[in-house]
Amino acid sequence: MTAIALRRPARPPAQSLSLVLVFSLCGGVLLAFILLPLLRLAASQSAGSLARIAAMADVRQAIALSLEAALITAVLAALLGVPLAYLLARARFRGRAVVAAIIDLPLAVPHTVAGIALLFVLGRQGIIGAPLAALFGLRFWGTLAGIVAAMLFVSIPYTVNAARIGFEAVDPRLEMTARSLGLGPWQVLRRVSLPLAWRSVMTGLTLTYARAVSEFGAVVILVYHPMTAPVKIYELFLRFGVDDAAGMSVLLLLITLGLFILLRALAFGGAAPRGQGR
Amino acid sequence: MSTSGLTLEQAALRLGAFRLASVDLAVEPGEVLVLLGPNGAGKSVTLEAIAGFHRLDSGRILLGARDITDMPPERRRISLLFQNFALFPHLSAAGNVALALRAAGLAPALPRITELLARFGVAPLADRLPELLSPGEKQRVALARALAGQPELFLFDEPFSALDAPTRAALRDGLKEFLRQAGAPSVFVTHDPVEALALADRLALLRDGAVIQSGAAADVYRAPADRLAARLLGVENILPVRLVERAGLGWRIAVGEAVLELPGSNAPHALPPELFLCLRAEDVALAAAAGDRQSASPSNLLAARVIAIRHAGALLKVSLDCGFPLVAALTQRDARALDLASGIPLIADIDPLAIRLVG
Repeated sequence: MTAIALRRPARPPAQSLSLVLVFSLCGGVLLAFILLPLLRLAASQSAGSLARIAAMADVRQAIALSLEAALITAVLAALLGVPLAYLLARARFRGRAVVAAIIDLPLAVPHTVAGIALLFVLGRQGIIGAPLAALFGLRFWGTLAGIVAAMLFVSIPYTVNAARIGFEAVDPRLEMTARSLGLGPWQVLRRVSLPLAWRSVMTGLTLTYARAVSEFGAVVILVYHPMTAPVKIYELFLRFGVDDAAGMSVLLLLITLGLFILLRALAFGGAAPRGQGR
Repeated sequence: MSTSGLTLEQAALRLGAFRLASVDLAVEPGEVLVLLGPNGAGKSVTLEAIAGFHRLDSGRILLGARDITDMPPERRRISLLFQNFALFPHLSAAGNVALALRAAGLAPALPRITELLARFGVAPLADRLPELLSPGEKQRVALARALAGQPELFLFDEPFSALDAPTRAALRDGLKEFLRQAGAPSVFVTHDPVEALALADRLALLRDGAVIQSGAAADVYRAPADRLAARLLGVENILPVRLVERAGLGWRIAVGEAVLELPGSNAPHALPPELFLCLRAEDVALAAAAGDRQSASPSNLLAARVIAIRHAGALLKVSLDCGFPLVAALTQRDARALDLASGIPLIADIDPLAIRLVG
């Protein structure tokens, strides 16, 4: 069955040994740079000190709040970001490049700046915050809504960009085939485009979720209380010094890491739909 | 299966810089219309317009008695098959067929899926993902999927273009057989004249968004309307000629220094200012220079020298210098009989009935 062999991605040609050695060294330095601080941090904590930190009610509340707000952020990113990603991948309209650039903007804005900018719009006197509070009682200061707003602002580019790349990789001829077989445009999206872009969409949502959990700057300016985990760590650091802050940091790391492993298994494990051209 | 044909009436559209001029086409049930043209001629755009993916600026598309001009693609009951047959890569063979059944508003029942796959001999592959199917198996699964919705028209957009030549020929024969049985009209797009002639009942030549010639495949093959048509059809010898004089009912024409005789029936009625001779390589016979070969028209024997020889499938194509360049095709057996080699002198014998004069 040579035809089957043809479908397999080609094996890359053998690399020169010296190139592999030098590049491995570069990569190794980078891996150490990322892992060493995290491992050193984890090693600084005994099980006893972790248990002591975990027993603090405000620490547990802060971590739960972070996870909850990030989850809502990811759901909003899916609802608002994935449709835009589809348009950017498929529709040909004037100003498409401008829209793509606007989506990337939060990546370039310092997060404290993002927080201040959001304050002007969603704050007590903000042009949207004030009327929303007056009309619906929806307030963005001191609330979960504010935390989610700050998280969404800084983390939405990851979902839109990853999903857009996923949709772009779907051969338009598959969508045309599905249409001519009798599926309407919404069914084509549900039965063909989304399943094929699924991995990319999930990658984007995972990145958005990760970014949202770890967001500090924008959140701390828009909403100091109730405290998310990173804000609480900052407070512990200021009030009790590095030891307590390190303890809670390790706790947060363990929980989020565990969650990501679970998320990836759910999203990509089992009979994961395959995209084309990857 | 439907027994109604496809008609395009003065279909025209503009797509960015591309324009499809007023196109008229008709395909009867059970017939294969091949759209042959170079890249960018508008073959795919025409096909996609028939399938409903481009709105016509003017004109109509009729499928039997139905005017489908303004119908969305999913309501046209047209099967569109692309390069490699575009099976859904995330669904098994059975999943592909099941989705097509569902798309057509039918129950994706297992017996029906198995029946459709079995019709093309691929029922045992029901659980395979497309990436694990050979090109031939993909084609059969795609045809099973196409039949699920009982389409009234089949459209093919260069389905074989990514395949090697032997596979291509085998799949082409299988497809031809299927289309003959299916009874619905079909339109097949290609830029390969060999593929076009193997499949076509009717042939339409497209260039720059316009049909430059159309008709029964045999007629178009035999009588290209002009030298663009001849080039699209793969005619090897397209040479500028001058008329010398009338010779009985026919003409005497000059190609370079050589003079050829031409029966009257092969000349166009109105002669264009620029005249070209079209001659297929297989209509040039070669004989040894010393031999006294009999010919219907002795004046169509030309002294020639072999410039180059190349293999073209089972035949050899021989480039000759007769005072003008000429390409002849001959079998390996004939080549051995002639001791064919570069540089040797030969006599080229041109069948006068095979010569066509075009503008």
